[in-house]
Amino acid sequence: MILTDELVISGQEISFWFGEGELRKQILFEVDLQIQGGEIVLLTGPSGSGKTTLLTLIAGLRTMQSGSLRVLGMQLSGASSSLLTQLRRRIGFIFQAHNLLPYLSALQNVQLMFELHPDVSAVEGRQRATEMLERVGLGHRKDYAVSRLSGGQRQRVAIARALVTKPELVLADEPTAALDGTSGREVVNLLRSLAVDQGSPILMVTHDARVLDIADRIMEMQDGRVGAPTH
Amino acid sequence: MSQKIRLSWLQLSHEKAKLFAAIAGVMVSVVLMWMQLGLMNALFSSAVMFHDRLSADLVVVHSQYESILRSRSFSARLLYRLRGSEFVEDVVPVYIGTTDWKNPSTGGRKSIQVYGIETQKLTLSALGVNEHRQGLREEDTFLFDRLARPGFGEVPQFIADGQEPEVEINRRRMRAIGVTELGSSFGVDGNVITSEANFLRLFSQRRSGVIDLGLISLSEGAEPAVVRPQLQAALGKEVQVLTREEFRSLEIDYWQKATPIGVIFSAGTVVGFFIGFIVVYQILYTDVTNHLPQFATMKAMGFSGRYLVRVVLGQSFWLAVLGYVPGTIVAGLLYSGLKAATQLPLELSLLRGVALALATLFMCAMSGLLAIRKLSSADPADVF
Repeated sequence: MILTDELVISGQEISFWFGEGELRKQILFEVDLQIQGGEIVLLTGPSGSGKTTLLTLIAGLRTMQSGSLRVLGMQLSGASSSLLTQLRRRIGFIFQAHNLLPYLSALQNVQLMFELHPDVSAVEGRQRATEMLERVGLGHRKDYAVSRLSGGQRQRVAIARALVTKPELVLADEPTAALDGTSGREVVNLLRSLAVDQGSPILMVTHDARVLDIADRIMEMQDGRVGAPTH
Repeated sequence: MSQKIRLSWLQLSHEKAKLFAAIAGVMVSVVLMWMQLGLMNALFSSAVMFHDRLSADLVVVHSQYESILRSRSFSARLLYRLRGSEFVEDVVPVYIGTTDWKNPSTGGRKSIQVYGIETQKLTLSALGVNEHRQGLREEDTFLFDRLARPGFGEVPQFIADGQEPEVEINRRRMRAIGVTELGSSFGVDGNVITSEANFLRLFSQRRSGVIDLGLISLSEGAEPAVVRPQLQAALGKEVQVLTREEFRSLEIDYWQKATPIGVIFSAGTVVGFFIGFIVVYQILYTDVTNHLPQFATMKAMGFSGRYLVRVVLGQSFWLAVLGYVPGTIVAGLLYSGLKAATQLPLELSLLRGVALALATLFMCAMSGLLAIRKLSSADPADVF
């Protein structure tokens, strides 16, 4: 593991509420967190503990209400929506369901990410997408429609999609939730090895106990607060 | 940002049945618009078939003239007065009358429009006039309009077979020596062109020198619009001098006022437009709604709202193109079918083609933009 001193994520006293007035409910209570370059961090905790909310804040998908949060050197508190869109282009996303575009082939789904990178030519994009699919073991299925792939294969396409543009940070939300034990294991192993190769740090929300061992560090959340870090 | 992946097309063509339904909707709309505009234009231009074939620079009509079917006669002496003008090369009188035609096969009677015109001079550029100059000098000869509505008998077929059939017009035996093309129109089922002398033989009650139109050809270099006021002044208030364009638009104006054609066909065109608009809107709206999770995912991954708008507008563009092209082909087939059945001058004109293409693009783009409003409900935060 190559750790760098630079902080990829640095949050202080993040609080967050849902709803308005009487119905206002606090979800996050002064959360602090820091993730270094190259680190693989798992965020666990029971459902409703606020971990997904924290992830959407880091991804710039919700507006910061209180506290400070820097992601990839950008202060998210008070950032404009176009800045947040810019930020998200530097992040690789893996979702609970694969969220692939059903009318595209595996290769087209991966290639699609280069639409956000106009400096990469169509030929180069296609080549890099093909290579990435080969690395997740789907080189022979690259032209298959998404509907003809198994759940595990789809999640591997999603990993290829998240990593093909060499993102500076990978955010994953329960990537094994829809998979059986064996495929889940394969998927996280693959994610880990590819991310380590590229030096991309990972923040993964999961409550799948079977995959906790891939982490460099595990953060436990309970009732909107982060507990003592366990190593 | 140039699209390397044709996302619009891939998303649109993913569900073939829906794609074909959408294309069919745009097609129906395009065909309807073509038909409505084409028929309207054909009806109006059928009223000026004769006008369009005149080679005169200026036309003299009675001051109360309304339409070629409602002309008022005036004295040819007024017209001949212009021969003295330095701007005038020549003047030609035209006689117009309506009478009975007896179908040579069935004996049935039909009303026919007769033009008595001096064909020795270059006055009319209608088919056949030039070839039959000599023949029209003979007694009781005429040219028959082969674009006439059915019911006049098989005169054109006889002529095509090299015969010169005799027909009873206004109880006088006349000989058809050739065909011309003027076409049927409001209140006119068919036309006959004959000489001035033959016209006066046919209409014994009409007096020589009492004419319906006066055609003026100007000397070289004389501008019709410039010369007109001087000629008008020379002729006085009993008649009016018109340019060919004025003469033509007077006729179209008359039929626009006399008939509700303009309103009916314009309304039909608007209905066609809205059919397409609603079909495309429905299809794109369901498409956007069905793909909201994917759009939300793309937003979460950093795709801008503008990119997604382009994806939907791209679909609009494809629907416009894929509906317009076959729609125009179908309209062309319908045009030729209707043309054969009604002799109406239906043409796929370039100008109207361009206007309809723009209308189709506009229609699809508007529906797309309306459907896109749904995109704002794709909250990327919901994808986690």
